[in-house]
Amino acid sequence: MKPAPFEYHAPTTLDAAVQLLAGLGDEAKVLAGGQSLVPMLNLRLTRFEALVDIGRVEELRRIERTNGTVNLGATVAQCVVERDATVAAGVPLLAKATPLIGHFQIRSRGTVGGSIAHADPAAEYPAVALALDAELEVAGPAGRRTIPAADFFLGTWMTTIGADEILVATRFPVWGAGSGFAVEEVARRHGDFAIAGAAVAVTVTDGQVARAAIGLFGMGHTPLRASAAESALTGAAASGVDAAEIGRLAVEGLEPPDDLHASSGLRLRVGAATVSRALQRAIEEADRA
Amino acid sequence: MPELPVSVIVNGVSRTAVVEPRKTLADFLRDDCRLTGTHLGCEHGVCGACTVILDGRAVRSCLVFAVQAEGSEITTVEGLATDGELSAVQAAFESEHGLQCGFCTPGFVVSVTALLEQHPDPTDDEIREGLSGNLCRCTGYQGILRAVRVAAEATKARTA
Amino acid sequence: MTMTTPGTAARYIGQSVRRKEDRRLLTGHGLYVDDVSLPGMLHAAFLRSEVAKATITKLDVTAARALPGVVAVFTWEDFNGRFGEAWHSMLGEELIVPPPLAIGDVRHVGDPIALVVAESRYLAEDALDLIELDLDVVTPAVDYATAAADTEHLVHAGWGLPSNAMVDVPFMPLSGDLDEAFAAAAHVIECTIRQNRYVPVPMEARGIVASWTSGRDEMEIVAATQSVHEARNFFARYLGIPEGNITVSARDVGGGFGQKMFVFREECAVVLASRLLERPVKWIEDRRENLMAAGHSRNELGKVRLAIDDDHVIQAIAIDHVADVGAYPICPAVADLQLLPGPYKIPRLGFSMSMVWTNTMGKAAYRGPWMFETTAREMAIDHAARTLGIDPVELRRKNLLSSPDLPFTSPAGNVFQEITPLETLDQALEMLDYEAFRAEQAAARAEGRLLGLGICVYVEPTSMNVPSLGTEGATVRIESSGKVVAYLGTTSHGQSIETTMAQIVADQLGVSYDDVTVVQGETQSTPYGPGTGGSRTAVVAGGAAREAALVVRDKVLAVAAHSLEASPADLEIEHGNVFVKGTPTKSLTMRDVAKAAYTHAQDLPADIGTGLEATVRFRPTQFPTWSNATHLCVVEIDRDTCIPRILRYIVSEDCGRMINPGVVEGQIFGGVVQGIGGVLLEDFVYDADGNPLTTTFVDYLLPTTTEVPMIEIGHIETDSTTNPGGYKGMGEGGAIGAHAAVANAVGDALAHLGINANSTPLGPNDIHRLLVEAGAD
Repeated sequence: MKPAPFEYHAPTTLDAAVQLLAGLGDEAKVLAGGQSLVPMLNLRLTRFEALVDIGRVEELRRIERTNGTVNLGATVAQCVVERDATVAAGVPLLAKATPLIGHFQIRSRGTVGGSIAHADPAAEYPAVALALDAELEVAGPAGRRTIPAADFFLGTWMTTIGADEILVATRFPVWGAGSGFAVEEVARRHGDFAIAGAAVAVTVTDGQVARAAIGLFGMGHTPLRASAAESALTGAAASGVDAAEIGRLAVEGLEPPDDLHASSGLRLRVGAATVSRALQRAIEEADRA
Repeated sequence: MPELPVSVIVNGVSRTAVVEPRKTLADFLRDDCRLTGTHLGCEHGVCGACTVILDGRAVRSCLVFAVQAEGSEITTVEGLATDGELSAVQAAFESEHGLQCGFCTPGFVVSVTALLEQHPDPTDDEIREGLSGNLCRCTGYQGILRAVRVAAEATKARTA
Repeated sequence: MTMTTPGTAARYIGQSVRRKEDRRLLTGHGLYVDDVSLPGMLHAAFLRSEVAKATITKLDVTAARALPGVVAVFTWEDFNGRFGEAWHSMLGEELIVPPPLAIGDVRHVGDPIALVVAESRYLAEDALDLIELDLDVVTPAVDYATAAADTEHLVHAGWGLPSNAMVDVPFMPLSGDLDEAFAAAAHVIECTIRQNRYVPVPMEARGIVASWTSGRDEMEIVAATQSVHEARNFFARYLGIPEGNITVSARDVGGGFGQKMFVFREECAVVLASRLLERPVKWIEDRRENLMAAGHSRNELGKVRLAIDDDHVIQAIAIDHVADVGAYPICPAVADLQLLPGPYKIPRLGFSMSMVWTNTMGKAAYRGPWMFETTAREMAIDHAARTLGIDPVELRRKNLLSSPDLPFTSPAGNVFQEITPLETLDQALEMLDYEAFRAEQAAARAEGRLLGLGICVYVEPTSMNVPSLGTEGATVRIESSGKVVAYLGTTSHGQSIETTMAQIVADQLGVSYDDVTVVQGETQSTPYGPGTGGSRTAVVAGGAAREAALVVRDKVLAVAAHSLEASPADLEIEHGNVFVKGTPTKSLTMRDVAKAAYTHAQDLPADIGTGLEATVRFRPTQFPTWSNATHLCVVEIDRDTCIPRILRYIVSEDCGRMINPGVVEGQIFGGVVQGIGGVLLEDFVYDADGNPLTTTFVDYLLPTTTEVPMIEIGHIETDSTTNPGGYKGMGEGGAIGAHAAVANAVGDALAHLGINANSTPLGPNDIHRLLVEAGAD
């Protein structure tokens, strides 16, 4: 299985990348880590006249901690995130999600921006971004703009990034003291796309859940926020949380996909279980924090 | 598109070729460098038979275009033995019967080499999870898992 | 098992000696078909049907031919009339390999329609995109359970046959009082056991380099094959040239498991292309092709009936068996229903057999192609135990053969001897600590956990008397250096043949293992062999290697005796030195002997100066050589996620004398994990229109390191008398036993909920569905 021919561009600045993309139009595609795109190219499931490889744009590889956020450049590799102290301290939820992504060879090349822009509804990073209300910074010929995660994911492999725009960075808000984080995922095999998964963040203050965020993956055409479950949690006594009940609430009313590996019904069951398990671990961690 | 030049260092040796951008790193190594130890098992990034070390990281060479590797340093299975002596990982696969048909073996040996560099003292779970991205059909993984354990001990002993 | 460095040990058989294959394979110097590059070599790619059944109304390759870098595009018209006979020894002259390219219509997704030959595979695939193909799509027959009776949607409409039944054998009682036994039985247990479609998936897909030299009329082939000699004989007939003009080699092959045993349509097309172009042509199958079009297996079902009396003795077993053979079976279902009673004392047997065409990929041989008899029987026995409310171990214990029962003649006339079914069950249960397990299971159930034990006991008909498989040849030669070369007609694809046969030859000759080289996987220098498969290398090739080595040993002794002025009976050979017993200083090295035998042969008496080489063809004294094993599998199903996880896997096996225990265990491990895959993860799925849905590794899931337990193996060594080495075959056993062991484990985990899990696969989706149906979710 060999890919169809394409032109290859490897700009070294963001401006050059944006200009190239604008000039090439619809027939061009951004290439970051390639772990999602290249299999599709090899299988000839898709083809493009040109690939714009942003892997040599240095500014896209930066990790920066500012006041209340951790900024991850689009092409920061997942294996770097896995070991980075700034991320571990500032966005533990992202750090915990990372080892669940595929296999370590995939993480050597896969990127933060690539995973989020690819927007697979069963992937971990989009759910983490959504759960934490991250902000996605994109750049296009008209300049830069910021898209809140809640407005970013449209459908399977579809986002609100414009055709001539590039995702430049993701800004993750840093949670305060007394927080706990957990990601729980169920897949048929280690490293497979999740049947269902949950990325959970909680802050416990004086024994009460002060704040909760639950991001679901594998449960719809985009990552989802379990808002009703979050509301039920907020203000509740941490020791009295019925995690199984929150899990059920989190998936109530959802119509998850039906495919070869899991029926919609199984996904509901698994989804509830992952929320429950992740929530228990997050609360335990928050208690210790 | 016209072909592009690619210059890389493979197993310490400088290699240059002119290739189509769509040529994968795996095919570049096999065809242009005549290093056929790296194998193609699926060409869609699942089986791990094509694993090589690219700038210090284990990658699936079927998912990298050769042009993307311009200026990089690559280690393939052919570069693991030193002066004809098997590396600790290779020796462990031999002693623990970690291969039968040998087709997945280069990918495993390279992956294990990279894995042990990151985790010199891995737990059994870390070994299993670490190698879950490499498929084998002959061994049932039993000899492979033993080999990694033996290689880890041997490497620890050497560096102790 | 840790492999040993062969040192000064005089005997290698029985040791887990390090493999000769490993050094080259570990350092990336294997020689697989895709590693071969010949001057002027071109690359091939097939246009394949994307629909299950259609008439070809337009096939225009003009634009494809015109693409720069494309050398040729072939369709059926180019090959028509350009080849001769197309059949395999093992399968017989009647089972003709289908035409290399589709003739006017397609009958399964993946059916090859055209062959592009270009300067690179990349360009060849570009050319495929330019072929204009129009198809008149017709409703296919996809479900084999209903296809036999479907007279409207015929897979082979033009053949003038009334239905899709390729073979239809009505119910045959092999025992005269079968009906009476069922009528009189205290309990008649009936169940339908269904085995899902799964595929061999060698890590190396198929491939061939065919190189025709015109003027010499010679064809040189390198192929990923399990049988170089069969490929050579096949293509001699196919091309109408003598065998002496064809060489086939397969120096390293990346797994086969039966799928690569026979010559394929695609290989025929590539060979023809090479002859027409008078250039080497390489075709390397990609993974999507391999999953879709290299041959499918295991898709069979059976309605099983057991007649059981009040003492729980099984008085009769019967099956109505249906197997899917696809559109173009490569190796049709090997329906060894005669084996259905297996290693049990069941005295009566009856069966009907139906092989059905469907518009899906054809059936290929896969590790134990007949194994459905074990799946059906072992799952039915568990079903019976559940129905009767008795322990499945006790039901087996009551009915299994053990040494005092032997020799035993089965209802089909199979004579069992030197097998140990009950003994392996006992050993396996001891390794498990059966009582402790049942206690643990009871406690788990009380907690609402789903823990189960699966059992499978089987006999394996190794070294069978199927045409062409009955014998093997070996040539052993001592070279002028004194080192030894053994030439075998085998084609190893992971079986460690270079190692095990060297162990045998070294032991018989008294030389060092390091001084023996085994050459196989090529036709020029080796005697005919039918190929490697069928669990017969140790018995038949091992027998040939042994006998040939012994003939050469006699020649060595004769020459040495002449030189040492002693009698051959007074001589020993150890570490390659021939010496007079008791007088080790009076000795010759093997090199000395070789010098006398070759360079100074004219100084030897005529009857001794015949060289140091022998070719022997060996056959076992009986067919088959039976081996046996018991598999136990402990599974826990996560109640929340429905995902099954294997906690323990135990095999107690008897394959007679082991040449290399590490190799034996490796073969068991691989087969077991294939069976685990088939039940819990691997499932090749077609939709109702005959479209394959699992054509990449993203959807066709193989077990990885995180899905397999550490597999525990116990050995019982009951020597076989069918061959002097005492060996038995065993290579397919792991895959034969694992399917039912794993399926029964899941069944046992769900049994207390009133669920009978009699179909596979049994992944989380299937388990969830069973729980929902039982109201137990």
